[in-house]
Amino acid sequence: MTPAQLARANASPEEQPLWSALEDVTDPEFPLSVVDMGLIYGLRREGEKVHLALTFTAMGCPCMDFILGDIRERLLQEPGVSQVEIAIVWDPPWTKSRLTAKGVERLRRCGVTV
Amino acid sequence: MITEEAVLTRLAGGRLVESLEQMSPIYLEGIQRILTVSADTELISAPAYYHAAQDAPSANAFVSAMGIIQDELGHAHIAYRLLQDLGVNKEQLIYERRPEDFKYPYAFDVPLDAWVELVVANAFYDRAGYVLLGDVFHHSTFGPWKRALVKVDREENFHLRHGETWMRKIVKEPGGREKLQRAVDWMFPLTVEWFGLPDTLKKHTEQLNYGLKGSSNDQLRQTWLSTAAPLCETLGLRVPAHYEAGEGRYILDYPFPCAFDAQEKRWRFEEGQITWDEVLKRWKARGPKNAEFVGGVQRGYREWAEMVRS
Repeated sequence: MTPAQLARANASPEEQPLWSALEDVTDPEFPLSVVDMGLIYGLRREGEKVHLALTFTAMGCPCMDFILGDIRERLLQEPGVSQVEIAIVWDPPWTKSRLTAKGVERLRRCGVTV
Repeated sequence: MITEEAVLTRLAGGRLVESLEQMSPIYLEGIQRILTVSADTELISAPAYYHAAQDAPSANAFVSAMGIIQDELGHAHIAYRLLQDLGVNKEQLIYERRPEDFKYPYAFDVPLDAWVELVVANAFYDRAGYVLLGDVFHHSTFGPWKRALVKVDREENFHLRHGETWMRKIVKEPGGREKLQRAVDWMFPLTVEWFGLPDTLKKHTEQLNYGLKGSSNDQLRQTWLSTAAPLCETLGLRVPAHYEAGEGRYILDYPFPCAFDAQEKRWRFEEGQITWDEVLKRWKARGPKNAEFVGGVQRGYREWAEMVRS
């Protein structure tokens, strides 16, 4: 189980739909979600506010704004969510071991060796 | 090198062409031509995009644009490298050719002067690249290029999504729709023209006969229109084209081809339709930024050569 899958398994019933919503947010290049990329380090719901801990695959990632915007937009569509606070985390760094099995399979289908 | 008959037999059997030894003279000429256009297009998109990237509204936006530029240079490298494998002198091709002999679309000679024009270029020009290279990716009979395009296809997808996302963002800003409309007004027809001569006038039929690509110019133009026009419509932007359900295709609502004033970035619709010979004349003369953009790419090479000589 990847760290993200573990966090998801421990999510409260109010947080579960938010993880599902994040599955709709795809990487700007490859057809896999930020969840399957293993970018989500933590998710907590506090009333109408969602706290998200997120990393990127590299510090020079050209898609940071993109991904943050897409995540905010999608989470704000969830019932009762009016605020999204995102903390960017660089430690521990992202490695390919954070990809889910589905993520690995999708990348391989696109010709990426992982 | 093999005969035309031998290469056509190979292709009829569903086998790819893998090297120079498996090509006929016509196949080689055709693949060199299409690779040169692709390589030049990717290469010159870099200075063209960089020119506007300097107007990025934030550091992160600038990093995104630089990521795209880096991708484009990588794509150019793939195509130039393949040309080298086919016996072309790569250094000469990139650094010693006259700017006006480069084969990229005329659109890149017209400067993108603001961030809004860069993101519309991502949504329009990169979409054209995505359509054209997607077609090569799926249909090309030249194996090495087909395999290399897996990566290119994904990256071009990111570029056009970058354009779309920013267009959606800008359209919500005060005055944003008007800014976008001004860019769309000159860039939409310029991208329609990008796909080249209509099928009735196209000379190089070997591109289809030898499976260097799968769709004709007009088919590819329609593919582009089928996603570019709806994107603009959903953002409330006017485009000079509409879908004709009866004919099952997009119809252009302006004289095509048409005269273009590159200095003013304005189509001279009022003058009516012109001939393709006149368009070809404009393309061959190149546009305002051709010498500057190609010169910028070649400068370091030239200076280094002079330094070595002295």
